[in-house]
Amino acid sequence: MGCGHVFCKMYGSRLPNKTPSYPLKQQVVLATDQVNARSILMYQQNLDKIAELSSHSAMGVSGPNCDLVNFSEYISKNLKLYELSNDGLKLSTHAQANFCRGELAKALRKGPFQVNVILGGYDAKVPTGGSLYVMDYLGSCTKANYGAQGYASNFCLSIMDRDWKEGQTEEEAVQIVEKCIRELQMRFLINQSNFIIKVIDKEGLRTLKYGADPADN
Amino acid sequence: MARRYDSSTTTFSPEGRLHQVEYAIEAINNAGTSVGILARDGVVMASERKITSGLLAPAKTSEKTYKLCPHATCTVAGLTADANILIDQARLRAGRYAYQYQEPIPIENLVEHVCNYKQAYTQYGGLRPFGVAFLFAGYDETHGFQLYQSDPSGNYSGWKATVIGANNQAGKSLLKTEYGVKKETDGDEMKTDDPTGGEEIELPDLAEACRLAVKVLNKTMDGAVASPEKLELFTMSLDEEGNCVHKILNAKESGEIIAQVEAETQSAGDT
Amino acid sequence: MFGTDLTIDQDILSIGSSKHDAKSRPIGSGCLHAPPLDLNPTSFPLAPCPDPASFTRSNFASACGNSDSHQQVKFAKGTTTLAFKFDGGIIVSVDSRSTMGAYIASGTVKKVIEINPFLLGTMAGGAADCSFWERNLGMQCRMYELRNKKRISVASASKLLANTMSSYRGYGLSMGTMITGWDETGPQLYYVDDDGTRLHGRYFSVGSGSTYAYGVLDTYYRPDLTVEEAIDLGKRAIYHACHRDAMSGSINNLYHVTKDGWVKIHAIDVNDMHYEFLEEKANAMSS
Repeated sequence: MGCGHVFCKMYGSRLPNKTPSYPLKQQVVLATDQVNARSILMYQQNLDKIAELSSHSAMGVSGPNCDLVNFSEYISKNLKLYELSNDGLKLSTHAQANFCRGELAKALRKGPFQVNVILGGYDAKVPTGGSLYVMDYLGSCTKANYGAQGYASNFCLSIMDRDWKEGQTEEEAVQIVEKCIRELQMRFLINQSNFIIKVIDKEGLRTLKYGADPADN
Repeated sequence: MARRYDSSTTTFSPEGRLHQVEYAIEAINNAGTSVGILARDGVVMASERKITSGLLAPAKTSEKTYKLCPHATCTVAGLTADANILIDQARLRAGRYAYQYQEPIPIENLVEHVCNYKQAYTQYGGLRPFGVAFLFAGYDETHGFQLYQSDPSGNYSGWKATVIGANNQAGKSLLKTEYGVKKETDGDEMKTDDPTGGEEIELPDLAEACRLAVKVLNKTMDGAVASPEKLELFTMSLDEEGNCVHKILNAKESGEIIAQVEAETQSAGDT
Repeated sequence: MFGTDLTIDQDILSIGSSKHDAKSRPIGSGCLHAPPLDLNPTSFPLAPCPDPASFTRSNFASACGNSDSHQQVKFAKGTTTLAFKFDGGIIVSVDSRSTMGAYIASGTVKKVIEINPFLLGTMAGGAADCSFWERNLGMQCRMYELRNKKRISVASASKLLANTMSSYRGYGLSMGTMITGWDETGPQLYYVDDDGTRLHGRYFSVGSGSTYAYGVLDTYYRPDLTVEEAIDLGKRAIYHACHRDAMSGSINNLYHVTKDGWVKIHAIDVNDMHYEFLEEKANAMSS
């Protein structure tokens, strides 16, 4: 619990009006810490808490390890099942987010999944390209340009409010995320040395950088 | 001997056939005809209304065409009572999908769901297959306008133009020669090959498709001249905002199309 | 297709009825999507009272924190266990003391559970919970072998245990364990605990003395240790934890896992170790 999270979305060139034929350049940047801790002990700091959902979408999840793993596996495998049973057809980011939200709400009275989620994706068909959805374990979901959850939101939201602007480049967006991480390391009681940053654009999902390699076990 | 395998829907005959299912399919071949045609800018479906008695109150809007969700509609050939159950299933599925994903259901997903439901009745004991065939017309973002046909066995397939119900063979052969063929083409250009065989056939527009649908019904109704009371014409298209528009043509509109078709055939007959 | 289930047998004629019935959930599936385990660990008999979850929670505390002061049933706990991977395999090293409050209940507890010739589990937290669920895991692993004609991977075995734990979450189980072994992918080490956490790592330490063991381990661990060095590190880390942690002590049991399975290396009294290391230090200072 108490995992700090930073997430931020950026746009490439914003469209003057909605014309689907316009070249799409929008991207989404997701970032999370890589820590697992229990009481006063930190067990690991090379986790990857950003789950790949499809070739062009992913979600950052915060919460107890058990719920985090169970929920992200449940969602990603169900979306994979959807692809298989619908002839390779992928759900849009909007539909993925609503599915995800529905499952959180369903679990609320019988579990629940104690996870907060930020889901991002890129859709070739949507005029804005990239999109980002912020949801909490109670099942509320909003479409946003940027968002942060956990204790980290207390430090990061103001930075993103200050710096985020429409039409910024990927570098600028990553810079905002890095400013947030620096602020956390400066002011946040809980030391979070490692963060993982992923980018989703028209080429798909890629890991931009990490503090420690999640595959190194 | 064969009779032994007739009574149970779920038992294969020694020839490896499910007789009850085949009989159900056969029953459809005597039902009122429905024709579906994919157009460049929409889908057309036309169905024959069988008038049984002059005393019967005519259907208020339609009796063969049912809207399933904002982007899908079906027409029915076969037992209307059976169809109602399946239409309920389809509407439920479409509604649940929209609830879960906040997004319209892909057409094939909807069709497959209805057909899975039908299939179950060919496999579970003590049940009778649905005596219904459907034409589904729909639109989704991925594949645009689509036309599907399903039968009581639970099989379904996608078509550019097809006919179900009575005399469907005659209807199909007419579609084969007329679909995707331009009216004003020169004779030598037409001969090249079967228009439906090639990949690149030019789709008709909505108005052309309507006329072709009426033409097919004229043929399947055994020479009886089509009249607005005896047929139901449905079109699906997109408006300027990209919303799906469903329309069941009223007597005046369908009358006009029937008149156009008559004029066309007469002039063709003259030359 | 998921979401709206297409199941034929029961509800084919009840159109529009919902199949999701909360009551049909097996008792013990603490989370919504409890894994359908074949060897149903959910058949574990629960306290015969209206709310077994809150009953067990208020009478048994989990391994974490000192939340057990009010407990009716004080049961054996207090431990140091550790395991690490290195180039020569895996070392698993544990103490053997069991305490109930201030009372030392036993000094000869086997805290390494031999699940099968290629899998080891360690015991921290409630002794009963650990041995019960790890034996249950042993049974599931054996069933896997019989069904699939090959040994289960450490990843799968640890996931089975984690699934059991997450299905009993909130029921007051107390378990902190490391599942280690050698499978087709080589040496593997997982940490699994009672709230369903499952981590894959190079080294872990669990128990009340784990912070002391981590101190030694973090300082002296290298992946390229020789087998002798690794055994010495495992031994010393447990010794130092036992020295500082009142709830850890007695015998140090140490296992080495290689591609041929596990071998027990030694069982040494930490008290003897104390004098051995003392002498060693004195010799080093005098020379």
